Amino acid sequence: MKEKEIYKCSKCGFCLPKCPVYNELFDESISPRAKVQLIKHFAEKDIVATDNLNKIVSKCLMCGNCTANCPSGVRHDSLFMRMRSGMIETLGDHWYVKAAYHLLCHNDQLNLAAKIAKFGHNVVLKNLAQEIKIGNIPVKHLPNFNSVPFRDRIPQKILPSSKLKGKVLYFTGCGTNYVYESVGRAVVYVLEQMGFEIEIPGEQVCCGLPIFFHGNMEKAVPNIQRNIDIFDRNDVEAIVVDCATCGSAMRNEWITVLQELGFDTESAQRLSKKVKDISEFVFDHLDLLKPVLNVNSNDIIVTYHSPCHLRNTQQVQHQIESLLSSLPGVSYCQSIDFDSCCGGGGTFFMDFPGISKKIVKKKIDNARQTGAQLLATGCPGCRLNLSGNMKASQAMKVLHPIELVAMSLNK
Amino acid sequence: MMNLKIKNQLIKIVGENRFADKKENLLSFSFDAFFKESIPDVVLFPVSTLEISQIMGVAYQENIPVTCRGAGTNISGGSIPVKQGIVLCLTKMNKIIEINTRDRYAIVQPGVVNYDLQVKLAENNFFYPPDPASYTISTIGGNIAENSGGPRCLKYGVTSDYILSLEVVLASGKIIRCGSKNVKDVTGYNLSALFCGSEGTMGIVTEATVRVVPLPEARRTVLAYFNDLESSANTVADIIGSGILPAAMELMDHMTINAIEDAASLGLPREAKGALLIDIDGPEESVDKQVQQISEKAKSNGAVNVTLARTLDESEQLWKARRSAYSIFCSMAPNIIVEDATVPPSKITEMIKGIRKITDKYNLRVGILAHAGDGNMHPIILGDIQNKEEWHRIEEATREIFELAIRLGGTLSGEHGIGLAKSKYLSLMLNKETLEFMKALKTMCDPKGILNPGKFV
Repeated sequence: MKEKEIYKCSKCGFCLPKCPVYNELFDESISPRAKVQLIKHFAEKDIVATDNLNKIVSKCLMCGNCTANCPSGVRHDSLFMRMRSGMIETLGDHWYVKAAYHLLCHNDQLNLAAKIAKFGHNVVLKNLAQEIKIGNIPVKHLPNFNSVPFRDRIPQKILPSSKLKGKVLYFTGCGTNYVYESVGRAVVYVLEQMGFEIEIPGEQVCCGLPIFFHGNMEKAVPNIQRNIDIFDRNDVEAIVVDCATCGSAMRNEWITVLQELGFDTESAQRLSKKVKDISEFVFDHLDLLKPVLNVNSNDIIVTYHSPCHLRNTQQVQHQIESLLSSLPGVSYCQSIDFDSCCGGGGTFFMDFPGISKKIVKKKIDNARQTGAQLLATGCPGCRLNLSGNMKASQAMKVLHPIELVAMSLNK
Repeated sequence: MMNLKIKNQLIKIVGENRFADKKENLLSFSFDAFFKESIPDVVLFPVSTLEISQIMGVAYQENIPVTCRGAGTNISGGSIPVKQGIVLCLTKMNKIIEINTRDRYAIVQPGVVNYDLQVKLAENNFFYPPDPASYTISTIGGNIAENSGGPRCLKYGVTSDYILSLEVVLASGKIIRCGSKNVKDVTGYNLSALFCGSEGTMGIVTEATVRVVPLPEARRTVLAYFNDLESSANTVADIIGSGILPAAMELMDHMTINAIEDAASLGLPREAKGALLIDIDGPEESVDKQVQQISEKAKSNGAVNVTLARTLDESEQLWKARRSAYSIFCSMAPNIIVEDATVPPSKITEMIKGIRKITDKYNLRVGILAHAGDGNMHPIILGDIQNKEEWHRIEEATREIFELAIRLGGTLSGEHGIGLAKSKYLSLMLNKETLEFMKALKTMCDPKGILNPGKFV
C-alpha cells in the first residue's frame, strides 16, 4: 500500500500552483510532485539520506493543499511524514526539535518549561519553550505566556448558565493552555451561554501532531493513545477543539499514524466522528446562539484567514465565514487570498525564515486591503505567525473567531 | 558528465543559487508528465535574455545539450533531457512586462504561467484564448514551444494564431527578434511560426508578444447526455456542419463520465454512454439563441437529456473536472498513454468506432474523450509498462490508431506535440522530402544539434 501511494502520482503538475512554497521559489525541486518522485527514488534506494535531501524534503509547510487538490488522489501529507521519519532515522534532528519532542511528550515538564519561560529565569528555556509553539517570529513579537496554564485555572466541569441543551468535551490544545488563555475563556463562555455542559479533562496532553508531522511517529503514539482513552466517550454530543491543527490530528492523522504503525484504529475512528472545530460547532447550533447575541453590538469590519488544517483536512471554511457574517455589527470582508497558507508551517519558519516571511507579508498586505480592523483565524500557529509579523503601524488585531462570538454576546 | 571547468563557467553566469548539480536536485528535472525519465548534468535558472545568450555561448563552444523547461506539464516528453547536459528552467523568468489593451497585445517573459496572464487580462476585460488543460500550471514559453491548443481553440485557434512577436536566443547564443506588435506584418518571413511548435529544438524563446482579445459578453455551458457514444459524435458533426460555432465542445465516453464522477462527484449520470460539454460565448442576445439551436441538434441526434449550467460556478466545476480527466485516469493504472490524433469533424464518428474496434482487438482498457468540435481525439489507454506483453499490444494499437487517423485525412498530433512519444510515427505522416526539409531547417538554426537533442528531429 505504501509503495502504491508513490506510483499513483501521474506527475501532471496540478500541485505546483497550489503549493505556497513553489509559488515563492518557482523551483521544481521543492514541488509536491518532485518530492513524491524523490521519495520514490529513496524507496528504490537510488538515493540516500543526505543533508541536501533533508533540506529539500523539509521545504514544505505541511499545509495539505497538494493533497486536497490532487486529481490522482495522492496522500502527499502521509508520504512526506513517512519520508521525514526516514530522514530522521539517518540524520537525527535539530536540537530544538528534539527538545520540543521531549517537552510535548511530557506534560508535566511542558508545564514547568512554560512557567519558567513566563518568569524569564532561564533564557535558554525561554527560547525553547517559545520555539515549541507553532509560531516563528522575533521573540519580542511573541505573546506572553499564560501566567498559569489555562487548564489549571478552570474547573474541569462547567454547567450551563441556562437550561441544559447538551454535553461536550473540550480539547484545549497547547496554544490555549499555554499562550492564548483568552480563547479558552471565550470557548467556555460561549458554550455555557448556549446551554452546554462542558467538561475539560485535566489529564489531556498535546495532540502529538508537531511530533509526528516532523517525522517522529512512534514518539507520538503514547500521547495519541492517552488522549483517545480520555476522549473516546459515548455520553457526550461532541468533542470541541479550538485549534485547527489539533482538530486535524484528531479527525484524520491519529488514524493514519496508528494505522501506519500497525495499531488498532477502532476507537480513533469512533472518536474522529465526534470531533468538531469550536466555530463549526457553534455554527451548527446557530439556533442556540442567536437568542444570546447582543443585537446592539458595535459595527466592525472583520476579515478571515482560513487555516490550512481546517480547510484541507476538515473541510471547514464556509461555515466560519457564515458564522462571522451572522454576528451583529460585523461586516465580513473576504481577503483575496484568505484561503492560502500563512507560511508558518510548524518549524518551517525556523528552517526557512526568508520564504516564510515573504508568504506571510503577502497575506498581511491583502488582509489589510480589505480595510478590516480584525483578522479572525482559528489556529494558534497562524495567529502567532500573522500577529508576530505585523508591524506596529499595521494595527489589525488577530483573534480567534470564537473570541469574536464571545464579544457579540449579551453581557 | 560535465567537467568542473564548464560548471564554473556556468556558475559565473547565473551564480551559485541558480545553479544545481546535486543528484537530489537534478532528479526533479528528469521528468515531465510523460512516463520516461532522464537525469541532466546541471540545472540552471536564468533570469534574463543576456544570461541565456551567455549560457548558449558556453554550450555551443563545448557541445553541451540544452533542454528548456517551463512547468514540465507536457505529456509527450518534450522537456525530458534525454541526452543529459543542461536543463534550462525558465520558471523564474515570470514577469508580465506590458499589457496593452488599446493595441491588444501583452508582452511576457517565457516563465509566466498562462493562468496568471489570464487573471491580469481579466482585470481589463480581455483574455488570451489558448487554454491547454494545464493552463493553471503551464507557462507561455512552454505553450509556444508546444504550440498548445485547448478546448476553446475550436472557436479561437491555437497558440500560433496569437503570437505577434518573439525574442529568440539561437544555439550559437545570438539573439534575434521575429515579428512586431502588429497583427498585419509581412516584413520578411513569418519567423514566429517557425519557432512556435518547434519544441525547443530550434531556439529559446526569451520574450513573447501575444495577441489578446476582449472577453465575450456572455457565456453558457450546456451538458448533453446520450445512450450511445456514436450519437454524441453525430451531434458534433451536425452542429459544426450546420455553421454554429461553439467556443468549445468536449466529448466524453461512459468510462470518462464515471471516472470524473468518482473523483469529483458532480452528479453526472453514470449510466450515460456519451456526453457533450459545450461552451457558447458571444453577445448576450446571441448566446441563448445558440443554446437553443444546439439543444435541438442534440435532441434530434438522440440526446436523452440536455441541461444548462445554472451558474458560472457550476460551469467552472464542470470544466475543472474535464481538465482533471488526464490525472484522474492516471490514478486508474500504473501508466497511461493519451493520444491526440486529430481528424476533420465530419470523420469523428468513424474515428471513434475505429478506436473502439482497435482497442477491442488488442483487448485494452480505453477511455475516449475529445475536443470533438475540432476533431481532436484523446483516447486514453490504460496499461502497465512493466507488463511487456500488454505494452506491446498498446504500441500496436497506437500505431493502428495513427494509421486510421491519417487515412481519414487527419494528423498524428493536434496539440500535445511529438517529443519522445510520437517521434517514431512521424514518417507515417510526413514524406521523406518533408522530413529532410525539416532537418535542414533544424541544422541551419542549430548546426551542432545541441538544442533538445534526441527528440523528433
